[in-house]
Amino acid sequence: MSEGTCFHCALPVERTDEFQVEVEGELRPVCCPGCKAVAELILATGMSSYYAMREPPQPGAGKPLEDAAEWQIYDRDDMLNAFADVSGDHAEATVYVGKMYCAACSWLIETTLARVPGVSSADVNPVTHRLRVHFDTTDLGLGQILARLAQLGYDPQPLAPESAARPEVAEQRAALKRLLVASLGMMQVMMFAVGLYAGDFQGMEASMQYFLRLVSFVVTTPVVFYAARPFFAGAWRGVVARMPGMDLPVSIAISAAYIGSIYAMMTRGPAVWFDSVVMFVFFLTLGRFLEMRARHRSIDRSVALSTLLPNTVVRVGADGETTIPSSQLISGDVLLVRPGEPIPADGILIDGTTTVDEALLTGETEPLAKSTGDALIAGSINLDGLIRMRVERTGSDTTLGAISRLSERARYARPAFVQTADRIASYIVIAILLIAVLVATTWYFIAPDRAFVITLSVLVVTCPCALALATPAAFATAGTRMSELHLLLTNGNAIEALSVARRILFDKTGTLTRGMPVIATTQIFDHSYTEQQCLHIAAALETVSTHPIANAFAVATNDVIAKEQRITIGEGVAGTIAGRRWRLGRQAFATDRESTDADKATTVYLGMDNELIARFDLEDEIRPGARETLAELKGLGLRPALVSGDNAVAVQRVAEALDIDEHYSGCAPEDKLDIIRAAQQTGDAVIMVGDGINDAPVLAGADASVAPVHGALLAQTSADVIMLGESLSPLVTGVRLARKTMQIVRQNLAWAVVYNAVALPLAAAGLVPPWAAAIGMSASSLIVVLNALRLSRFGAA
Amino acid sequence: MSILYILIPLALIILGVAVWAFFWAVGAGQFDDLDTPAVRIIMDDDDKPPEKSER
Repeated sequence: MSEGTCFHCALPVERTDEFQVEVEGELRPVCCPGCKAVAELILATGMSSYYAMREPPQPGAGKPLEDAAEWQIYDRDDMLNAFADVSGDHAEATVYVGKMYCAACSWLIETTLARVPGVSSADVNPVTHRLRVHFDTTDLGLGQILARLAQLGYDPQPLAPESAARPEVAEQRAALKRLLVASLGMMQVMMFAVGLYAGDFQGMEASMQYFLRLVSFVVTTPVVFYAARPFFAGAWRGVVARMPGMDLPVSIAISAAYIGSIYAMMTRGPAVWFDSVVMFVFFLTLGRFLEMRARHRSIDRSVALSTLLPNTVVRVGADGETTIPSSQLISGDVLLVRPGEPIPADGILIDGTTTVDEALLTGETEPLAKSTGDALIAGSINLDGLIRMRVERTGSDTTLGAISRLSERARYARPAFVQTADRIASYIVIAILLIAVLVATTWYFIAPDRAFVITLSVLVVTCPCALALATPAAFATAGTRMSELHLLLTNGNAIEALSVARRILFDKTGTLTRGMPVIATTQIFDHSYTEQQCLHIAAALETVSTHPIANAFAVATNDVIAKEQRITIGEGVAGTIAGRRWRLGRQAFATDRESTDADKATTVYLGMDNELIARFDLEDEIRPGARETLAELKGLGLRPALVSGDNAVAVQRVAEALDIDEHYSGCAPEDKLDIIRAAQQTGDAVIMVGDGINDAPVLAGADASVAPVHGALLAQTSADVIMLGESLSPLVTGVRLARKTMQIVRQNLAWAVVYNAVALPLAAAGLVPPWAAAIGMSASSLIVVLNALRLSRFGAA
Repeated sequence: MSILYILIPLALIILGVAVWAFFWAVGAGQFDDLDTPAVRIIMDDDDKPPEKSER
């Protein structure tokens, strides 16, 4: 790791001597006291191999988030019953572990928990991000386990037993069984096939030949009826829906070869094709299996929704304030929401004033002021006021639930992307089988004694495995390479869409910008203070605030200490520094005088004893490198557009700074979806890049969608590709890699077609002996795989 | 070569047993995590905490 980055979370460090940890006798810089605590915990418990084994660290990963104290509520019995299966002293709980990126994380969690007294077992599935923990309730509570996870820098989310069920696990188990049946079946049948080919040369007793064909049939049958069942089911669904897909030609090929072979076996005909059947099924099953594994990496919707909302809420009833699990919320409840907490349900503010941050829901960067009678949206963040609200809608009835449903519908309505490669392959397979039958019958009439060997050559030489391998081999290699380049692929089909896309749509807040304000300009009115001093005074005042504006003033070190700080909601903060009264906020608040210029939430004034000292202009900073990335994307022939829920002025500013001609502001999720539909109507494939909840429907509706990992989980459930790290530059690499992948797929298909076009007439004419055909077939598969493997070096020097 | 008439069915029976064993292992959840085991072997489980001894 380079000098200037945090040893634990890989974020840049400004002063490397400020916080340090000792690693194997050497002092390494860390960025904050939080990372220092986590790193020391990991090192002190002897688990330093975590640092050696983890994947390239993601900047910001593993930063501790929460205060351990807040997990204590889960030690209570009613919370334990809501989130765990309890029998006697023994409890079993399922916890979703957020911010977990690689196998080293799951090792760290399991090993750490196994050392906690009272934990009898802890299993983490890095694919579904779920921890299953068994523990003794007399020794420890669920809260202590969650606190431990939070200490390690993960984001634990206990799941109610009913939502802990994992459909992915059942799907993966079924797919594994099918893959095993197909692969063992293939090995066995190929072995018998070698015997049958040898018999063709050396001569074989008719009874032995019949026997070998019979056992091939016995082994092939479960492969066809068990391993290949999803293809038949898919084909049938396609026929019923009058939208036949890739499964139909595949099913026809499998059943034609299988039934033909049975007929040939019964009539003691020239050849059987059981080996082709099993090989075809095996490679297709393998392709589907790899695709499924990629898909399972995406995050499930129920978890994504629940991470936006608090697990517990404070209900105000006749019996005073009680903390209850949020699943027990009903409409009409009165809740207490503290500053910094998410709003747990849609409702009305009944007591207090505050500002809320709805950036993830609407893309609006400026916090909104709310007072009694205003509507609150579940999932927005209560920034600075202690408020009471009356719940009107909960769970899937909320605005958040509606956005989630909209994105689900958009995914179904996604324009069917033509998977050219797969389609070509399946047509070629059918053609080959038809030609084989034709060749067999023709030669049967010309020279019955040679018909058999020639048909055999035709079948072997044209074995579809090179074709069946062409796409999956390239996609699997590309998927692996993408994850090394900080792109997690969750939908293999996105590669083709990425490669042909002509338009790329960006969300603004949090995607092109960092989604948090920074100080753009500082103007000093009283020159007895320097800019540095003003900043330190402002930082000292803001230490009490949870408002996002406070982050802009956060400085690494500050000697200035403020006392008697007080927050006035929607106005600013005040405090005493060295005996003088300082105020930071709106102009009227800072000086007790009328504003002289238009009040904007992004302009902050600093005043001392009613004198104006300084003015700070804040803006949502554009992500570093965004301009270069956009220029490169344009160079690749992609037309960018900006689609944002924010106001026109802010959108215009970013669009101009990044040189984007086309931009839309004030878009609701439905409007964004309409914009993308309109673009698709013109025949262009569209890539959408977005991070907010309001982007989820557009991400689902785009041909290929990319979500940065630091955004809302709901956006990531709808994304085909999850982009790790802070930079946008993986987008360019991703598009280039996708294009290269499709180029390799086309090369592979072209190779398979040319090879067949040359070999087939020769074989049909009886010029290729079966042994030469076997060599040709193996070589052709090998070439396809080796060509695909070239992708694994993509982007390396 | 007539020994094949016995050996091949025998092989198929063993194959059946292998498939059954695999199905059982999948059902018992042994294959649910396909990523961690590959990495786990190179991790040192027996690093002891540096300062305090476990005994």
